[in-house]
Amino acid sequence: MKGRLSRWVVRCAIVTWVASGLLALPGRADVSVERGSSIIIFPKVISDDDGLLTRGFPVETIIQISNTSNSLAFAHCFYVNAAPLDPRQPPGPFNPPQWQEVDFDLVLTKQQPTYWVVGQGRRVDPTDPQCSRVPPVFSCPNAGFDPGAIPAVPPNFQGQLVCIEVDSAGAPLNGNRLKGEATLVTPRSTTVNGVTMRQGEVSKYNAIGIAGLNTDTNSNDGDLTLCIGGNPRPGCPAGAEYNGCPDTVIVNHFGERATMPALPANDIPNSRVETEVTLVPCTQDFENQVPGSVVVQFRVTNEFENLFSASTTVTCWSNFRLAEVGRIFDASFLGTRFAQTRMTPGGIEQPGFLGVSEEFYNDGRGVLSRAALNLHVEGVRPGGDVITIPEVAP
Amino acid sequence: MSPRLLGLACLSLFVAAGVVHAQQVGSDRAAAILVFPKVVVDTNNNAGRGRLDTLIRISNTLNKPVRMQCFWVNANGHCFNAPGIICDPTLLPRDDRCPANSVCVPGWQETDFIVQLTARQPVAWLASMGATLCTDTADPNLPCFPITGAGRPSPTNNLESRVPAVQEDPFVGELKCIAVDQNDVPIEDNALKGEALIVRSDVANNTNFFDVRAYNAIGIPALAGRNNRDNVLILGGNGAEYAGCPNVLILDHFFDGAVDPVAQQSISTALTLVPCTEDFLTQRPTSIPVQFLVFNEFEQRFSTSFRDFNCFREFRLSEIDTRVPTFSIFHAGVSGTLTGQTRIRGVAGNDRTRGQTLLGVAEEMRANGGSAAFQVHMQGTRPQSDFVYLPLQ
Repeated sequence: MKGRLSRWVVRCAIVTWVASGLLALPGRADVSVERGSSIIIFPKVISDDDGLLTRGFPVETIIQISNTSNSLAFAHCFYVNAAPLDPRQPPGPFNPPQWQEVDFDLVLTKQQPTYWVVGQGRRVDPTDPQCSRVPPVFSCPNAGFDPGAIPAVPPNFQGQLVCIEVDSAGAPLNGNRLKGEATLVTPRSTTVNGVTMRQGEVSKYNAIGIAGLNTDTNSNDGDLTLCIGGNPRPGCPAGAEYNGCPDTVIVNHFGERATMPALPANDIPNSRVETEVTLVPCTQDFENQVPGSVVVQFRVTNEFENLFSASTTVTCWSNFRLAEVGRIFDASFLGTRFAQTRMTPGGIEQPGFLGVSEEFYNDGRGVLSRAALNLHVEGVRPGGDVITIPEVAP
Repeated sequence: MSPRLLGLACLSLFVAAGVVHAQQVGSDRAAAILVFPKVVVDTNNNAGRGRLDTLIRISNTLNKPVRMQCFWVNANGHCFNAPGIICDPTLLPRDDRCPANSVCVPGWQETDFIVQLTARQPVAWLASMGATLCTDTADPNLPCFPITGAGRPSPTNNLESRVPAVQEDPFVGELKCIAVDQNDVPIEDNALKGEALIVRSDVANNTNFFDVRAYNAIGIPALAGRNNRDNVLILGGNGAEYAGCPNVLILDHFFDGAVDPVAQQSISTALTLVPCTEDFLTQRPTSIPVQFLVFNEFEQRFSTSFRDFNCFREFRLSEIDTRVPTFSIFHAGVSGTLTGQTRIRGVAGNDRTRGQTLLGVAEEMRANGGSAAFQVHMQGTRPQSDFVYLPLQ
């Protein structure tokens, strides 16, 4: 009996040691907005100088990406244009979203940061003048090592940017070297219906990172099917290559059209806050350009702990005000100024999704400000997701 | 012990190992400790930057009640010979608000309070006003705690919740909230998520200035089965009860003075750092040298350090290494490119048992434009622990 017990103790020690070691390699099992990753997703990228897609207010996006490691990093990036075919007309069955992807490559030297303006792109030009102290020149767009030829997006663009770490041959790689931020900038002061958004009004969010698993042994098989979480399945015979997408996405928000309490109500009585949420499915097929689609369930809890629910469908990319989903988000219906909303896919067979929120604050005197927030996540999708990318070399 | 029981224990260890490694400090997961590194209040526009206030939003993500003990950490400086005068110890060469024969002494003072959240309940309060129960006499324009229940306080109502306003106005400092049980003993419920909205407006001058920036609170998750329920919270390292703080913070930023390629306005970045180790029991601030390693877009490297970091510090990047911002390695004129990446590291001291790690948040401001706050990236953890010492109950 004693020998049997000691055998069990030894087995237990070995299993625990191996398990802790294996689990230590990836370090976590979920997406993150503040850790270097192998896939980074910018859910909300807008370049709309006319304000056709943004309620009349022009918006431009600055993308910042950097390599957090001491070795060279390569990335393959995809813009997905989700603007309607004719941005001047309202979207509908006869004016569907384009779901058009355009891809390009990035090369970042060790610890190199880079940036580009989405509507301008970035060309390779080693002669870009640098900033200097003497004479004082502080405007030096594109100075630095150009990370590659980055195309400008077409006018009236809205959609997402996905960057995938690859090796020098273009095969997906689990290096977890990439991080990024997106800044939504108002290029000039604009007044719409008596409400003004000033030039330089900005909101900023961190790219959502999906870490590659087992960076030491590189569990990535380097093929064109990226397995995001989940167990072995058709297309992913070895199971997950990357961390899984979350099971639940959580947003704390104002009730729609609630007042902003930080403004003194006696002096400024008519402030109001609206929240915009941008969601993208985790499953994406850039090879066949088949947009992922997910039914999103909303469960809203107000400050009284009252529960409400609603749902909507997100295909490829969706950007909406909460009030557009249902009246339950309205402060007058909720009965409280603040709420917590949990968003989940409509079923186990549905893909996961990621997103970002942006709040718009109208001060009641005609000035509009904005702030973006990364959403909270909870759990991991058991079924996993798949990103399929096109061949990069013949 | 039977082999079957031993197998069960083995399985538990296996699961625990997984949980330990899966938990990380971050701003996108519910956690047992929330850190809001920057809270500012200046409702009378003393600093001339407009009326400033911070709205705190916190919610319980679990389907059961949770209680939190929160700490306002007042990092205001006060004049040495005139402690009633609030001043800024970071101003160089001195803050003129202090009398001629006085200097500005940094401060660090905590005030704590209890908030009871019911299942999935979101709550909010203004740092300048605090919050009380929603009664008939409460100001309807201010956030309050709505579930008043009937009779005695219980986990299913907010009767025990009362948030004091920050200690002073103007105020600069930090808010930390810790999940506790009904006896105010720390527990391992990773239930809390939160956001801070810094609102700047100009009411008195009627210039119609209005700007809001927002960031997520940083969450430090508790590790399952590790909490020993004492008043010393161990973050990372041996005997960890909570996930360890990051070894390095990484900040992608525009260099100060760089001209925004879209709005054509000058950009500056403010970085707020707080230490992971905090002693609310003896109110002793921790002294940590901070190292900054800066890379521009040419992969050229610069570095600098800051010696006098104690409990809270808000830096404008180009004032970290020099009194003349245009000579700073964080200035576009010196770095030569618009953007950079800075790695920020608290230096471990001679006491090798302490992690000396940092947490922070960044804010990007445009001259005559708006501002945005965003999360600082993190990398790795340290083998040493950080500690949060709570007042004894």
